[in-house]
Amino acid sequence: MACADCKQNGLQTKEAMIARVDAIIDRVGRSRRVIIPLLQALQAEFSYLPSDALQRVYERTEIDRAQMISVSTFYAQFRHIPYGRHIIKVCTGTACHVKGANNVYDAFRRELNMDEETITTADQQYSIEKIACLGCCALAPVVQIDEKIFGHVQPGRVKEVLDEFQQYAQEQEAQAADEAKEPPIGEVRLGMENCCQASGTAAIYQAVLDASHELGIKVAIKPVSCVGACNQVPLIDVALPDGSIERYPNVKPEEIKEILLHHFKPANRLRRWKNALLNQVDMFHTDTTWDNILWKSEQERTGTINTFLSRQKRISTEGYGIISPLDIDEYMAHEGFAALEKAVTTMPRQAVIDTILQSGLRGRGGGGFPTGRKWSLVAATDKAEKYVICNGDEGDPGAFMDRILLESYPLRVIEGMIIAGYAVGARKGIFYIRAEYPQAVIRTRKAIELCREKGLLGENLFGSDFSFDITIFEGAGAFVCGEETALIASIEGQRGFPRQRPPYPAVEGLFGCPTLINNVETLSQISYIIRHGAEAYRTIGTEKSPGTKVFALAGKVCHGGLIEVPMGTTLNQIIEDIGGGVEGGEKLKAVQTGGPSGGCIPAELCDAPVDFDALTRMGAIMGSGGMVVLSESSCMVDVARYFLSFTCQESCGKCTFCRVGIRRMLDILDRLCTGKGSMEDIDKLEELAISIKQMALCGLGKTAPNPVLSTLKYFREEYEEHVKGICRTGTCKEMVKLEITEECVGCTKCAKACPSDAIPYTPYARHQIEVEKCVLCGLCIDECSYNAIRKVALKS
Amino acid sequence: MQITINNQVIEVHEGETLIEVARRAGIELPSMCYAKGAKHKSSCMVCVVKNVQTGQMIPSCSTLPTEGMVIDTQSEEVLKLRQLSLELLLSDHRADCEAPCSIVCPKGLDVEHLLWLYDAGRLAEARSFLAATFPLDQLGCADCKAPCEKACRRGTVDKAVQIRAIIQSLAERADLPLLPEVAPHAADKRSFISKLGRFTPKEKEWLKETIDAPSRCLHCACPGHTDCKLRRYTTEAGIKRPRYEVSSALPVKEKIHVNGRLWYEPAKCIRCGLCVYNSDNGFTFERRGFIMQVVIPEENRPNAPERLATLCPTGALFLTE
Repeated sequence: MACADCKQNGLQTKEAMIARVDAIIDRVGRSRRVIIPLLQALQAEFSYLPSDALQRVYERTEIDRAQMISVSTFYAQFRHIPYGRHIIKVCTGTACHVKGANNVYDAFRRELNMDEETITTADQQYSIEKIACLGCCALAPVVQIDEKIFGHVQPGRVKEVLDEFQQYAQEQEAQAADEAKEPPIGEVRLGMENCCQASGTAAIYQAVLDASHELGIKVAIKPVSCVGACNQVPLIDVALPDGSIERYPNVKPEEIKEILLHHFKPANRLRRWKNALLNQVDMFHTDTTWDNILWKSEQERTGTINTFLSRQKRISTEGYGIISPLDIDEYMAHEGFAALEKAVTTMPRQAVIDTILQSGLRGRGGGGFPTGRKWSLVAATDKAEKYVICNGDEGDPGAFMDRILLESYPLRVIEGMIIAGYAVGARKGIFYIRAEYPQAVIRTRKAIELCREKGLLGENLFGSDFSFDITIFEGAGAFVCGEETALIASIEGQRGFPRQRPPYPAVEGLFGCPTLINNVETLSQISYIIRHGAEAYRTIGTEKSPGTKVFALAGKVCHGGLIEVPMGTTLNQIIEDIGGGVEGGEKLKAVQTGGPSGGCIPAELCDAPVDFDALTRMGAIMGSGGMVVLSESSCMVDVARYFLSFTCQESCGKCTFCRVGIRRMLDILDRLCTGKGSMEDIDKLEELAISIKQMALCGLGKTAPNPVLSTLKYFREEYEEHVKGICRTGTCKEMVKLEITEECVGCTKCAKACPSDAIPYTPYARHQIEVEKCVLCGLCIDECSYNAIRKVALKS
Repeated sequence: MQITINNQVIEVHEGETLIEVARRAGIELPSMCYAKGAKHKSSCMVCVVKNVQTGQMIPSCSTLPTEGMVIDTQSEEVLKLRQLSLELLLSDHRADCEAPCSIVCPKGLDVEHLLWLYDAGRLAEARSFLAATFPLDQLGCADCKAPCEKACRRGTVDKAVQIRAIIQSLAERADLPLLPEVAPHAADKRSFISKLGRFTPKEKEWLKETIDAPSRCLHCACPGHTDCKLRRYTTEAGIKRPRYEVSSALPVKEKIHVNGRLWYEPAKCIRCGLCVYNSDNGFTFERRGFIMQVVIPEENRPNAPERLATLCPTGALFLTE
């Protein structure tokens, strides 16, 4: 009997599923082009791509099986098997890697009793995966469980994190219904970017809510853009009714009550303030625009942050901490869209291009190609249909500039894009944003709507004959799609295979039309140039690289975060004056710039001014602006291997040298890092690296050997040491063991902490580590109060 | 338009790519992922040439010439890179060109071919093939130490094929007619020979379960060994032993019946994509990077035309007799 029921249920659910699939197809479309948005919508609906759903896609759309397999298996976002209820994403970006992300990943697997083969727990509660970069590098190592982000996760904290998450998940379910409230008397602003959230802003948010409830002080909580002081978070600003602001960095939940009491008196006595105050209640993590009081400017800020922020010059991030990301009126009050109006109403198209040409602006996405030249090329073609694409597919591990620019300053990027569209004669703009940045997608989408409402997008802008509109395309997880021809292929609904240039996209791009592709940061510099003129822009930065550059400063540095400095600032200035020096008082060893396409610059060259050409000369590249600080305790061979394993995973597989060559380089690096390498291997590695640089078909492949070439150039002796079986930093696990010294008092803490039972429990006696059981996670070192455990080389 | 290739000035015809210009002028250039008249995208890089003016290495199969271009196809630098691309492809090519048993036979018998006829039930042909190599009443195997059985790959899985016993039994079948048209041949030992290497324990299990030919032979020889471009260019480049250890993400020895006479062996694929670009909803790429494969889902198999076997530069796609 039961079986018949089952069968019927099965049928019903299948029918229900088909109906849901049909609804999605009707909404998204049926052409081959829409495959990526279609799969994204299906996955959002079912949490993976069920085969019945795909079957329905074949029946009802132009998409066939060959295209489906080709596309759905190319992009990392798509899942073909169901996952557990919650997904744990362990960030393995550069900053997280150098701080031990792999140990964290292993610790989660141990804690959840997962065996080697599986990624989902037996009870289907959790699935775990490594993710290229969550873009919260200042808080490394970072882990995201569902939407919640945890920072500074050490292997020993894994259980705590899971408990905390479980509690949070329960609260979320319980907290469905809430109160309707009276208007607030004050405003508390807190950053709600990923990094701020990871540092515990959510707890602060909760504390403010609780305190305001308890004290009867009604305050509005406003999410604001990143102030770039990611090391000082959680950070709140209290906006008082008179317009003044008090900033509290590094605030703790228990301090909130005191802060509120200090500034506000309970509501009943202060009714008179009510009307002077603005909005309704806390819109936590939403994107409602706020009509708020003016912010006081920078001199209000407290000591340390002043140092962190003072050397900087802000163009892309102008108005940081002042402008709410989605307050279009506020943005306009700060000269927002003035440049657009100036361009469209007073300047001929050629004059706009000339201004950009004269400004000397170079593309911030990597290569540093002169932006004005790109614009001229697209403008010069006489085809009617043209596109402007904003490349926000920031895939570099260790970089988060584009994410923050889009989350915090979407209107400025949009303004830059519309000006570009005007200059080159395009009518359509597309934002290409990676799907790992949901917040950036949401904010940009909202910002586009706001612009439409204000008549800044649409037909006949400012009464001219210029019309422009923008759509968003979400990338599906492929680093190679940062390469412009691969990016175009993915919008067209294909695998992200780059193709040969020429023809360049400026001549033959998206759907065969001339296409201008600029990076997020490049576009965010445009409005400043138009407003202030090329001359003023050229006074900032260096002669060959004018303007400012946004960097994501992370790794072993005291204050990591998003910074914007004039080109020509030296690496030492950035690390010492802005970053507060190397973490833990260690010595600086090198700075890695440009991510997997870049290289390592040794400490002795760090007084060189940073611009496109200087970095290239040193064997690194500007890249999109990831800057990871490496200290004495970072192993350079391991760093090179880390980047190679990233490019190996992200290689599209089209050409031999990238697909096989990088794999062979990685084989050699694997051998070196496990003490099995030979001197001949080093030569082979170098030969392969040089050949791949010449022979790979696209920019990703050609630059992939850079991390190896630059470390070979400056740190060759470390490679040679690895051949001899020595990793001087103790990073390469196969070459070290842990040892308990005579300092041990037999407190047993290490024995209790050891996840693999490698330390027998011997109270009051010196403990021993059984080398064959030890997984080198380092938990015992963290636990020991007597500094009695150390890493030693297996060979010396 | 005119360009210069190896100091020779050549007139360019409309729409020609560099490789077509060069070949028309009698300049030899190897290529694998390119086939005249078929859709292709550059991938193998075997056809690389140097643009002397820019110093760039470019695939000649898809680069369009520009006025005054100066191209070098034969300098040592170019040849070395071309050789490296072959070596890299070979390092991902876990397959045998010739069967180990046939290579080692001191009497020059193509043992694998014999077993192939035997397994196909073409016993008369098998016996005739044997007879064409040595007299049946005086078998070469009689006093031979059977290096064939020692070299047999099946031996690394469980037990070597009983080659001598099979030969003996064939010799004794006097009832089978001797066919005069069957000619002898041996394994090609002058050309480069790619080697499969060792099986993993998992592969051994799989082979034990799936290979059930009467002789138990794994049929190591490549069906495409006579017209494989990878083998030919490697031989021409003078590569004896590729310098990179072989490892691949492709399944070894899996043979898929596509349709009719068309078969596909993924392990021999160099991912050039000719079969993908030239079939409509047939072959397709799966995944990316080093683990990228060319696959054909069951439902798509009728859509693959036989012509693909001739486009395929290796023995990955082949036709059976």
